[in-house]
Amino acid sequence: MASRPPVPQPPQHIHRARGGVAAPPRPAKPARRSRPPRKPRRYTLWGRFWLGFVRRLYFGSKTLIKLALCLPILAFMVWFSYTVDRSGLFQGELAPRRIVDLMLQGYDVTNFDSMDEREVVQLYAQDVAETPEVIAVGSSRILQFNRELVGVDSFFNMGVTGADVRDNMTSYYKMITYGKAPKVLIWSVDPWVFYDSENAFDERADADLYNEFLTKVLGVPTDYEEPDPVELWKALAEPAYFQGNVDYFVKNRGQSTVTDDDGNTIEFNPVEGDPFDQSTNIKRSDGSILYNVEFRNQTQEQILAQAAAACSTFNSVHMEGFNELSQTQLDAFDAFIRYARDQGTTVILVLSPWHPYLYNYLLGETELHQGFFQVENWLRQYCADNDVPLYGSYDPACVEGIEEMDFFDGLHCKDTGIRKFFPGVPAVLEAIQTDSLPDPLAVTPRTTAPVPEGAEDGTGDAAAATAEDAA
Amino acid sequence: MTLISLVYLGFFAAAALINYLLPRVVRPYFLLIANYAFYCYSPENRPLALVLAGATLVTWVCGFVIGKSRNKALRVIFLLLAVGGGIGILLYYKYWNMLADALAGLTGGAVPHLNLIAPLGLSYFTFAALSYTIDVFRKRCRVEPNLLHYAMFVSFFPTMITGPIERYPHLRPQIQASRRFSYSRCAGGLFRILWGYMKKMVIADNLSRYVGFVYGAPDTMNGPNLVAATVLFAIQLYMDFSGCCDIALGVARILGYDLIENFNSPFEATSFSEFWARWHISMTGWFRDYVYIPLGGSRCGMARRLLNILIVFLVSGLWHGADWRYLMWGLFCGVASAIGRATFPVRKRLWRYNPLYRADWLRVLLQRCITFLLFILSLVFFAGALYNADPYAVYAGMVQGWQNAWDSVRTTLYDTGIDGRLPVVLTCAAAIVLAAESHGRSVARWIRRQNFVLRWTLYYAAGAAILCFGAFGQSAFIYQQF
Repeated sequence: MASRPPVPQPPQHIHRARGGVAAPPRPAKPARRSRPPRKPRRYTLWGRFWLGFVRRLYFGSKTLIKLALCLPILAFMVWFSYTVDRSGLFQGELAPRRIVDLMLQGYDVTNFDSMDEREVVQLYAQDVAETPEVIAVGSSRILQFNRELVGVDSFFNMGVTGADVRDNMTSYYKMITYGKAPKVLIWSVDPWVFYDSENAFDERADADLYNEFLTKVLGVPTDYEEPDPVELWKALAEPAYFQGNVDYFVKNRGQSTVTDDDGNTIEFNPVEGDPFDQSTNIKRSDGSILYNVEFRNQTQEQILAQAAAACSTFNSVHMEGFNELSQTQLDAFDAFIRYARDQGTTVILVLSPWHPYLYNYLLGETELHQGFFQVENWLRQYCADNDVPLYGSYDPACVEGIEEMDFFDGLHCKDTGIRKFFPGVPAVLEAIQTDSLPDPLAVTPRTTAPVPEGAEDGTGDAAAATAEDAA
Repeated sequence: MTLISLVYLGFFAAAALINYLLPRVVRPYFLLIANYAFYCYSPENRPLALVLAGATLVTWVCGFVIGKSRNKALRVIFLLLAVGGGIGILLYYKYWNMLADALAGLTGGAVPHLNLIAPLGLSYFTFAALSYTIDVFRKRCRVEPNLLHYAMFVSFFPTMITGPIERYPHLRPQIQASRRFSYSRCAGGLFRILWGYMKKMVIADNLSRYVGFVYGAPDTMNGPNLVAATVLFAIQLYMDFSGCCDIALGVARILGYDLIENFNSPFEATSFSEFWARWHISMTGWFRDYVYIPLGGSRCGMARRLLNILIVFLVSGLWHGADWRYLMWGLFCGVASAIGRATFPVRKRLWRYNPLYRADWLRVLLQRCITFLLFILSLVFFAGALYNADPYAVYAGMVQGWQNAWDSVRTTLYDTGIDGRLPVVLTCAAAIVLAAESHGRSVARWIRRQNFVLRWTLYYAAGAAILCFGAFGQSAFIYQQF
């Protein structure tokens, strides 16, 4: 049998080393079995739950953190809207805000006649840093009370022109709501405080706040409804309000004058020069009013003419149809006094006198002013019963030494007149301490019979004649 | 619930949060509930949710029968049933009064008007539902056995107000396999929403003051104001509609769904036909697939082809509302497109003789300008219908009173509150938006590629633009009413 020819071997690569010795070929690695694809790990139900939970937690927190980076925009919007607040939703109207800012800086402010006094009082209560020790509430008849008359530096006069009972009580209530209860409250009680009629109310007063005060504090039921604070605060997150504030800010930035929403210039500026030599009425930094120099320096005839003019319009000042005291208002008055005392406030009541000519005139028609003439006697009795300090009298004859030149007109008493019946807060407090308050019942105002003034010397007739001429 | 309300954002945020907290299998069902909750939010829509449910059920059943049956007659019957039902709902709610007038005119009798409130998103959900049935009939889409998945598609709330008109084959895989949460998608979606709000509130709503004012009393306006208002209306309409689509796409993206892009830089079109391939893509695509192509499309003679174009635009005009001005708008667009198509070969041959066309960039610029001009001319009818103005009076007024043109436009702009820095802001904002979206660029995608500092600076800038210049409390979206 013939042998098979040898099978040719495949050519081999020869690796040559430097030394000329061939290295043996590297043995081929045994073929590795390819590994089967790894099966996805099977998790149990709980495992899958936790995996999903952790995954959600991770991505949720990551998303939230990134979203939190948007918060500065919102925070800026809220801060800007609150700070600029062109509509005065949070910090009051622009003009009153400027007035209060100036007053808090110690300036007297011009243009008193254009002020929204109630808003100024509201903002003052809100913004004043240190609670004044003494505040005064009442109508324009108390606006002459200033630091010098009161005898205390820490004093603010919260009286407002045409104030009704609602203004009186809410002015004090505002201070309380801001946690700024004063030590002493001077209240110039006007007769219409005890008249429960629409005629006794001033439309400028904050009726809602008064209702809130009656309902929440005094427990008197009213139609007051708790306002939704969310609605107001939503404005802070309102882009439209933010835009308005941006417009306003850009428009007024760097300008010396401030304008309101309608573009009108707000002209309330610090008083320049001697405050006692101003041609317009000004509001002092303590809240009191300083009439213009012409009004302050009227002659006796001019004052008398003012008083005479007030005779025919007397009832129109919140007392139209005032025939008797309202029990509701008497109760409210009593509740308010107790409330103030509960707040640790000493209440001092003041009765600012009317011009002698006017008072005498009223005595001549008592049937038309029945309610008015009942007020003082009731009040005196109340003060005597409740140990409430009471100073002054509606009847100028009951104020020792007061004369016609102590008045600006029929209603408003000058500081010279006030000094004649009000000794100042320190003296009153001392009298309370020493139990030497004047007896309210020691004074009896004329209420029933007209007394012909100057019957002995005839000056009353002369004055009346002069007044009629002037009128 | 409008898209530019906090309620909408709150609703969406809650829906997205719950959606991702749930297991993926359950998400479509949850979204279905959310869709109907969205629909029923407004009390007047609550009874009309039955229309939505009814349309969904009818088209699904018809689609099911069509898909499962091999009997052609039966398939055709159910197709007709679905199409008839869908169109019937549209005719009843949107065109009843117009049909009644037409019928009364023909017969001389009185046909009563019905003051019907159209269901929210009627034109969008009926078209979406019809597309499914027709696609199943054409075997372009498999039958959906799961009614709830299909119902989720028809009622998908991001598309409910202004579209885009979705197709089921596009959305189906996304519904059947819900996506995992992706931070990147979420961030992109959020920016898309922000971008949409910026377009809508900063540009469109501010422009609408002027446009509304001019078109509110076109008889009292001179030519420059009418021209300016028409040009600005084109910008307003684009910003309004595309802004809304951006919001819808962003919302859907966050929920895990990619929707059809509705715009592709339409103002860069160099011909009127191309313009319509870039504007309201989902609607033009719908009409192309379900009206133009069944009519013969481009595979027929030139005359028939042009007629098809005309018919498509007329139907498109009618889709916008039962108003002769929309019909005229459709006719205008149809005629312009048909002429463009018919004359294109000749025009292309003539290019070489046009010295202005020597440079490509100049040719493109001129073509874009001419296309834009045609578009704004057509929009006179559209704006006329929207603001109830006489379009012929507007056309007539456009050539009058060109003395002190700039002054009169400026005065009217100022009178409508576009004063101070706003004109500059609007011009810059519109230019930035158009430049950023140039060549169909995705701004959301682009911004995601930037580094952290630049990205967040741009986010803040967009937010600040909305806060400072956005017109809050303005009208709803223009396309919401269609």
